[in-house]
Amino acid sequence: MKKLSLLIVLLFVFVSVSKAQMYFEFTLPDIDGTDVSMSKIMDKSNVVMLSFWATWCTPCKEEMKKMNDIYEKYKDKGFTYVALNNDNQKSVSKVKSFIVAQGYKFPVLLDTDKKVFEGYSGKDEMPYSLLINKNKEIIAVHTGFKTGDEKMIEEEIKAALEVK
Amino acid sequence: MKKFLLITLFIFIAAGANAQIKLNVKAALNNLFRYGSGNETNLGQTYGKEYFENVSDARLSINDIVFGMRYEIDRPIEYGNDFLGIKKRYVEYTNDEVGINLRAGDFWEIIGRGLSLNVFEDRFLYYDTGIDGVRASYKKTFGQKNPFKVKGMILGGKMTFNDYLVPTRVETYDVRSGNFELAPAKFMILGGNYVYSTGSVPTSIDTTATKSYVPEAYGWLKFSNFQWFLSYAHKQTNTEENTLYDAMNAKGDGFYSSLSYSIPKVGLTFDYKNYRFDLTAPDYRGNDRPTRMLPYQNPPTAIKEHATTLLSRYPHVVDFNDEVGAQMDVIYAPNDKMTFNFNTAAASRHYNYINSGVGGLVEYERVDRSDDFIPSFSDEFSPWYEFFAEGEYYVSDNFYGKVAYDYQNSVIYDYLSPENSEKQWVHTIPTEFRYTFIPEYTFKLSFEQQFLYNSNAATDKNFMNQLIALSLSKSPELSATIGYEWTTSDDEPTGKTNWLLGEVSYKINPTNTVTVSYGTERGGVRCTNGICRYVRPFEGFRLTINSKF
Repeated sequence: MKKLSLLIVLLFVFVSVSKAQMYFEFTLPDIDGTDVSMSKIMDKSNVVMLSFWATWCTPCKEEMKKMNDIYEKYKDKGFTYVALNNDNQKSVSKVKSFIVAQGYKFPVLLDTDKKVFEGYSGKDEMPYSLLINKNKEIIAVHTGFKTGDEKMIEEEIKAALEVK
Repeated sequence: MKKFLLITLFIFIAAGANAQIKLNVKAALNNLFRYGSGNETNLGQTYGKEYFENVSDARLSINDIVFGMRYEIDRPIEYGNDFLGIKKRYVEYTNDEVGINLRAGDFWEIIGRGLSLNVFEDRFLYYDTGIDGVRASYKKTFGQKNPFKVKGMILGGKMTFNDYLVPTRVETYDVRSGNFELAPAKFMILGGNYVYSTGSVPTSIDTTATKSYVPEAYGWLKFSNFQWFLSYAHKQTNTEENTLYDAMNAKGDGFYSSLSYSIPKVGLTFDYKNYRFDLTAPDYRGNDRPTRMLPYQNPPTAIKEHATTLLSRYPHVVDFNDEVGAQMDVIYAPNDKMTFNFNTAAASRHYNYINSGVGGLVEYERVDRSDDFIPSFSDEFSPWYEFFAEGEYYVSDNFYGKVAYDYQNSVIYDYLSPENSEKQWVHTIPTEFRYTFIPEYTFKLSFEQQFLYNSNAATDKNFMNQLIALSLSKSPELSATIGYEWTTSDDEPTGKTNWLLGEVSYKINPTNTVTVSYGTERGGVRCTNGICRYVRPFEGFRLTINSKF
């Protein structure tokens, strides 16, 4: 029990002194089956927002609609919005239909087994979004989405892009 | 545990052996705290209920190696078995350049659409089919213009499966699996998987030893605006004789296919399922039957999963051992303000059974049919079908509305007394309206109306449910909701006919949220991935703190 307590204390110390929310590279297939690597997206972008979502998640779809407008507004300035889909085996077949029908043009990658979600400390709640700057630092994290949150997210993106 | 620590130590030493490597250390912690106090009702009895749960998931990353651990305190747990200690732990090494991933410890995995292997966790249902063992995977792409991709994975380990309906009943399995996937062209994936397991399946009076073999083949094809996935899995389970069962050699299979078509503004998906993993007579369909579909399998349900309260309360419970059905889903988005969704699905059992026993003995005989690849709407097949239509409209930047209609019809056939078969239909109209009256401040109204008929209802067979929820939110930190639900049914286990619940959620910062609720909760059936359990009615106080560090 002592060992266990020590382990937990050590872990908490590690957590407190280390940088939380780890950036890591990954490669996932997009909705057409083409592998897309995060490093290539980062190479082409100044700021990237990773957003985990699923077709059954109502707030995710609202966030996606609002983020599509923001993506269209700032994509020429180096902003990329990447929607990482967490639908599992029961609904993943509907993902492409949903995205194409809505006319979204941002990259949509399939994280069906949630390994990337888990790697970015995702836990139960969606949408779950991370804003990453050119230096591969996670500068903002958002869990859930309420109407109006898009304004705050846009401000964060503008600040990261150094756009007025 | 010793082996695990040894492996961890070995990997750390191996990583540290190269003195030229610059250590890049990062850590993250997720914490979920839940406390509840009040009264719960089960089997007509109301009793005091208190739970205290804390789940901490920590991850420590050193270059390409990740060490993860979950420390859990469930004393007492809300549903399931109490626990205190390290529940999950793993070490994982990834090298994207070489294309390898090695993991030792706890993990979850899905192959294809899960017909042969789909292990996952749903804490709310107390469902966890995670494997404790080792997994190694390799993937490589050859060529750039016309890439040829290969992927392989092997895994082995122990699975301890608590029956989510009777948590004290625990099944254990030793699972081995090998998967191979080829993508010879951009438009095609071909894959195969093989699972072998030995298991120990307890029932009330004895434990059955099992050996199972589950091969699966699957493929994915893209042409023009179409995508087509299909998968077939065969299952064979051999059991040893015991006081309850003779030795059995049970064979079953499952087939799933989805075809989707998408063009701008229109998306269409057609799913077909034909699950026959354990076709058996009605009196052998127990949840602890050792030849049923294995807990590490979980194919698609091919039904729509609803998010609104009343709609999700009467789900169709999929029987993966004996069900055939199809689903069609259409999305139509005429412009960026409007989206329509239409969905229809149907399912039934494969065969009818008649009682051919004499002298009061019950002996079922299967009545074969040639069209058993499509669902039947005759009562003898326990049919279920659904129509759903939904329209949403962003009227302006400030105003949003959504209206839906759903109709479900089902029969649960009683083979001995057909007149006692449970027949049910449900009409539901869920609506939602949001209005942002000041930037950041949004008012939301959710209203659901439901009309039902249930032939086995003790009193009034026709009844209705109604729910209204008002919510005020201030972006990004605060939301307060008050929900009121009432019914005309007299069959509620608590005897109540109305429920009132208030909830406040406050985001301390973007990753730390506190939620408090107080009031009465109706309870009901809740499903994830076709796994369903009854959630008991609750009255009292709940506190949830969700944190990320």
